[in-house]
Amino acid sequence: MNSIVILLIGFAVAIAGYRFYAKYIDTKIVKCDSKKTTPAVMYMDGVDFMPTRKNVLFGYQFKSIAGAGPIVGPIIAIQWGWLPAVLWILLGTLFIGWVQDYSSAMIAMRHEGASFGGLSYKLVSPRSRVVLVSFIYFYLLLMVGAFGNIVVSTAVGLKASPPAWLILTIAGVLAGQMIYRWKKDILLTTVVTLAIAMFGIWFGTMAPSDSILGTDLSNNRLLWALAAFVFCYFASVLPIWKFALPINYVSSYVMFIGLAFGIVGIFILHPDFTLPAYANFMIPIGPLWPIMFVTIACGAISGWHSIVSSSGTARQLENEMDVRPVCGGVMFAEMVLALFALIIAGTLYSSPAEYGAAVSKGPGAVFAAGVAKFLGAVGLSPALGKSYGSMMMIIVAITLMQLVVRFMRVATAELLGDISPLFRNIHVGTVLASLMGLILVLTGWWQYLWVLFGGANQLMASVALLLVSVWLTSEGKKAGWVIYPMIFMFITTVTALLYTSYDLIHKVWTGAAKGTEAMIGNTIMGCAGFFLVVTAVILAMDGVKALHKYRLLNLQATESHA
Amino acid sequence: MTEKIKEQDLEKKKFGAFQAVKEFLYGAAAHDSARYALKTRASMEHLFILITMGDMLGVPILPPYYSLRLLPYVVPQISTWKRRMLREKDLMDALA
Repeated sequence: MNSIVILLIGFAVAIAGYRFYAKYIDTKIVKCDSKKTTPAVMYMDGVDFMPTRKNVLFGYQFKSIAGAGPIVGPIIAIQWGWLPAVLWILLGTLFIGWVQDYSSAMIAMRHEGASFGGLSYKLVSPRSRVVLVSFIYFYLLLMVGAFGNIVVSTAVGLKASPPAWLILTIAGVLAGQMIYRWKKDILLTTVVTLAIAMFGIWFGTMAPSDSILGTDLSNNRLLWALAAFVFCYFASVLPIWKFALPINYVSSYVMFIGLAFGIVGIFILHPDFTLPAYANFMIPIGPLWPIMFVTIACGAISGWHSIVSSSGTARQLENEMDVRPVCGGVMFAEMVLALFALIIAGTLYSSPAEYGAAVSKGPGAVFAAGVAKFLGAVGLSPALGKSYGSMMMIIVAITLMQLVVRFMRVATAELLGDISPLFRNIHVGTVLASLMGLILVLTGWWQYLWVLFGGANQLMASVALLLVSVWLTSEGKKAGWVIYPMIFMFITTVTALLYTSYDLIHKVWTGAAKGTEAMIGNTIMGCAGFFLVVTAVILAMDGVKALHKYRLLNLQATESHA
Repeated sequence: MTEKIKEQDLEKKKFGAFQAVKEFLYGAAAHDSARYALKTRASMEHLFILITMGDMLGVPILPPYYSLRLLPYVVPQISTWKRRMLREKDLMDALA
């Protein structure tokens, strides 16, 4: 089948879902009110609450949620066949993905911009706040591990990427200096630093890492893992305007230019799918259900979006009517991005064996090869296209990694600061978070790590949907459109986490995991998976009690009115 | 006349679409930085108000006698400042 057909179906689903289903929920069930004052307008303190135009918020939301998830997930998931992956991307987004993003922002907005911690305390139970924060901490740790693995495998597999990455970092730091210290014009800064970043991508093809460091060092995973976490260390410890923000600024342009031309290239080449529509129910990492559903992650639904929507976007929305386009609309856009990644994986290789050989080097290799092919349609040389694709892969992974390490530094200080003041030290907190991530990156096989991250991510989504269900029930509104997706996601993700964690621990018990690294990695990943399931079950139990309580209250209210 | 109105509408739509793309790019690339700069400025202002007017929240850092002269300048910000100081903080705010 031609990939453009799938793309057009995707566009149709996005438009229909947004214009009919999302609009129905927005106007008839949640009943958004353009005259209601949002927290951003009411408080407008210039710190947390700042009303922002919806197009700006659309860009902000898209950049915040579009990480490695919608790209890596479909690249792995195609192992089951492209058809089940397409179906989950489309139907998952239509019935669950946009629902989660939209409702997370709405619940936060209607509770004066409260974040999930506060909402769970108020709506569910006091202990659920602590349980939720613990859950999120380990979920983010898995994210750091999974994304770190992607950075390392890309740096090892695509030798042009490390020099390009270094030069991008230099360009970013220079952008920070030019904007904040030297007060240069923003247009001049953008042009200069973007030119340097593009030079870096070209330079990577001229002087790849093996020509500078030699083959042994350039293939050393420890070296690139350390590089990634040193990068995150600087991002966490230095003032944000000096390092993290300006690098993100320059990276955004690299990403969007690559995406834009890549999309044009897909339409020019309009390739056919070469991999089978359906391969097998069972593959090495697990069965189609539940593993494929958690593997695709952000391409269909993601708990990360609920955190961004509630803690960030909800405090900037200037009108309730903006929630559907900003939060719901962006999820549909990300669905299309996931379809692009699926097209890359599904049209590039002539056989599953060829795909298998490529993906064993890491998803970055597949993505970079795809970007090279489609940028080639617009005139870029294959080597340059591959370097560009590898940079895009590193950018999407490292951007979120450094934010999460920064958050984990803050979380460590909050959670452990009372035990010892040492944990309040920014260097200690950062090193601790980086060390845990480093252990995961070096000891975990990347596909298992990805499945665990996906499971944790979507379990977070089901927890978010649970909170929304409780809120809707407490307000006496229809909640079926949230409750049924929540139940499905909860069962799927808990099963996936239990399956994967048991598989990992079983390999250690039976001696199938060879070597100390594999044993340590499997044990840590397995235990993290079990911990997440336990915390999610506690949250679910408290959530069900809260749901029951509000249902009874509603019944009593109805009876007393009658 | 109708044709002129149609042309003007088309111009508005084109300009509107261009403006939307501009805002989208700004939101994706620069909005975070702008937000952070505003947050930093506001945090410093609120810290200054806490030091000078902390007495309002029961935190007597400076005797009010010395800071009363500043009162007319900070009055517009007092309600915002109080709300931010007394608002319940959550760990998730670090991800905002």
